Amino acid sequence: MSALTTVPKQRRRSVIARVGWSRFLQEIGMLAPAVGLMTIFLITPFLLSFWTAMTNQPLVPRPTPVRFIGFNNFIRILNDGLFWTSLWNVTRFTLWVLPIQCGFAFLTALLLNRKMPFRNLYRGMFFLPAITSMVVVCVIWGTLFQYPTGPLNHVVGVLSGGRIQPIDWLGDPNWAMLSMVLLSAWQAYGFQMIIYLAGLQGIPDELYDAARIDGAGRWGRFWHVTMPGLRPTHVFVLVITTIQAFKLYTQVAILTQGGPKSSTETVVHYMVRSGFEEQKLGYASAVSVILFLIVLVIALVQRRLMRRFDV
Amino acid sequence: MGNRLLTVLAATTALVALAAAADAKTVVRMMHQGDPGWVALYGKVAERFEAANPDVDIELIYAPHDAYNEKFSSAVMSKQLPDIMELDAPFLANYVWSGYLKPLKSYIDQDLLDDMTASNVAQGTYPIDKDLYAIGLTDSSVVLYGNRKYLEAIGARIPKSVDDAWTRAEFEDYLGKLAKLDGVKWPIDTFRGYGIKTEWVTYAYQPILNSFGCDLIDRTTWTATGTLDSKACVDALSMMQTWVKNGWVVPMSSGTNQFYAEGEPAALAWGGHWFYAEAAAKMKDDVVVMPLPKFGDKSASPDGTWIWAITSQSEHPDIAGKFLSFLLKDKDYRDYAVSQSAYPGLKSFAAQSPLYAEGGPLAVAFEQASKVAVPRPPHPAYPAITSAFMQAVDQIFNGEDAQKTLTAAAAKIDEDIADNDGYPPFGGN
Repeated sequence: MSALTTVPKQRRRSVIARVGWSRFLQEIGMLAPAVGLMTIFLITPFLLSFWTAMTNQPLVPRPTPVRFIGFNNFIRILNDGLFWTSLWNVTRFTLWVLPIQCGFAFLTALLLNRKMPFRNLYRGMFFLPAITSMVVVCVIWGTLFQYPTGPLNHVVGVLSGGRIQPIDWLGDPNWAMLSMVLLSAWQAYGFQMIIYLAGLQGIPDELYDAARIDGAGRWGRFWHVTMPGLRPTHVFVLVITTIQAFKLYTQVAILTQGGPKSSTETVVHYMVRSGFEEQKLGYASAVSVILFLIVLVIALVQRRLMRRFDV
Repeated sequence: MGNRLLTVLAATTALVALAAAADAKTVVRMMHQGDPGWVALYGKVAERFEAANPDVDIELIYAPHDAYNEKFSSAVMSKQLPDIMELDAPFLANYVWSGYLKPLKSYIDQDLLDDMTASNVAQGTYPIDKDLYAIGLTDSSVVLYGNRKYLEAIGARIPKSVDDAWTRAEFEDYLGKLAKLDGVKWPIDTFRGYGIKTEWVTYAYQPILNSFGCDLIDRTTWTATGTLDSKACVDALSMMQTWVKNGWVVPMSSGTNQFYAEGEPAALAWGGHWFYAEAAAKMKDDVVVMPLPKFGDKSASPDGTWIWAITSQSEHPDIAGKFLSFLLKDKDYRDYAVSQSAYPGLKSFAAQSPLYAEGGPLAVAFEQASKVAVPRPPHPAYPAITSAFMQAVDQIFNGEDAQKTLTAAAAKIDEDIADNDGYPPFGGN
């Protein structure tokens, strides 16, 4: 985990030669449950969904026959403007939510890492939104967002001295996605905060002491000890948050159903809509395969970044 | 030790088996939606039925309104279809075509069948075999509610029957005048607050299309292109787009009670018959019930509601039918329906519903339904039709070009029909 540990390079030899047969079998045996479960619950369903994506399989049995239609579903998806809109929307969402959510999580983690009375109480309080169910959060924020007389509009009105007109947070195509960003960042930052806290505590005190002896001030210690020490944490948080953001669904399903004017349509919502509402399971599977590929690419790129940072 | 364990196990098994035998009731499962009041009521009716038929256990399965079809699909997939299901009338054709429902006439009491109004029979009938697959206590309609104070303030003419409904010119003139009136924040509430993915959209706006002389889909060739994207439909939706643009319509995020909320900010309401009970409770005599405006040459109004059917997987259709008959005759069920200003679908229930009787406040809804009601397309592609239309309405209300959006929606519907080989034996395409 730490950037400081160095792994001694070993010459590659056959595993069996290195550990011996009995040890090898023992290791296989220990791996087996995990591999078995992964095969049943991850690999097989994925292969099945890839197969379904090549057919016109309906959600529920219909009198018309199920046919193999090759890449037709994929071609149709890539030609559907709504799919590209939804992809752009999640990209937009991710680009907004990343700095807000991670930034806020980082700041609170820095604050809560200091020695102060009732520290654990505060930590618990800041973590509270993260353990609240997203559905509950959505219902509450739905009330806050009400137009034109909701509490949030009231706050905006008072702060601006009435100069800013009430905003239709969820009903205006220009605002709806930003409202999703605010709500999602608030709900989820607690998780990233905990990871940052762990990262901060993983930085040895000796480094700070040494920096202090070298004459580094507050800023110097922050830039030259805290930030480098948190590098792997930063990358990890980025990966996790990006992948989560790409799977945006619950908030949209509850608050806007993809509207207004498709401004909050997301890839997962598009998939659920085609699979459950329009009952085109094959088509929805094709969307899920595409989403998988997108997330895979992001994860690979970010893994390369992690390598570069020597994690 | 091992022996003792075995004995205990055997004894437990025997006990369980005994208990099961003593408890061997016929289980009839019923899936339904509805507001909490209805849910509580079904529970009570089921208890009464069980008391009268001690060998039957009625199991109620609640599914929320907006996710009902999704929930139903998963029940089909897991082969856990209930015996009785509530369904929204326009989806009937799809369910029967897919083979989920049983013809129901032989299981329901004859006096109830004879009691059904023509519109009730129509909403439960599958157009291919003309057989009855569902029955309900009620039907539905949409009317134009007005706030008497505001209407008098602008000197609006209050129509008394469908024949003298407001014309488009009158209606838009009033909307403009109401917009300028003190105290009116929005001239009309069309209940956008129900959401953008709710059957309400298609149900409430199809009459506007019909009144303009167009439709969701051509009902003989079953093709949407050429109909849904025709000039009449484009005009209809462009007109509504203008209302929204003018700020005349209550926005989606303002809730669904702006007609009677504090200060009564919405002057008119394009609302379902069920809205009358709420509005009248708050506003008393200030609620005026009017027929839907006549935009083109003819008036139109919607119909169809949630009705009861017996599924093809039911092992006890006779008991299911017996329970349905029991429910439809239940006094509390009917009383509660009356309190919700339910629209009568049985003749005997109409007699119990003074709201809809000659001279009653909702008489105009009854007149509308008997003269100009147009059902939603009874075709198995209906889920695709309504989904495409809802999406188009959301786009258009938010400023997208009506022609472009409707052309895309029509293409999407036709694509679904083609994907299903035209839904044989339905013709066309």
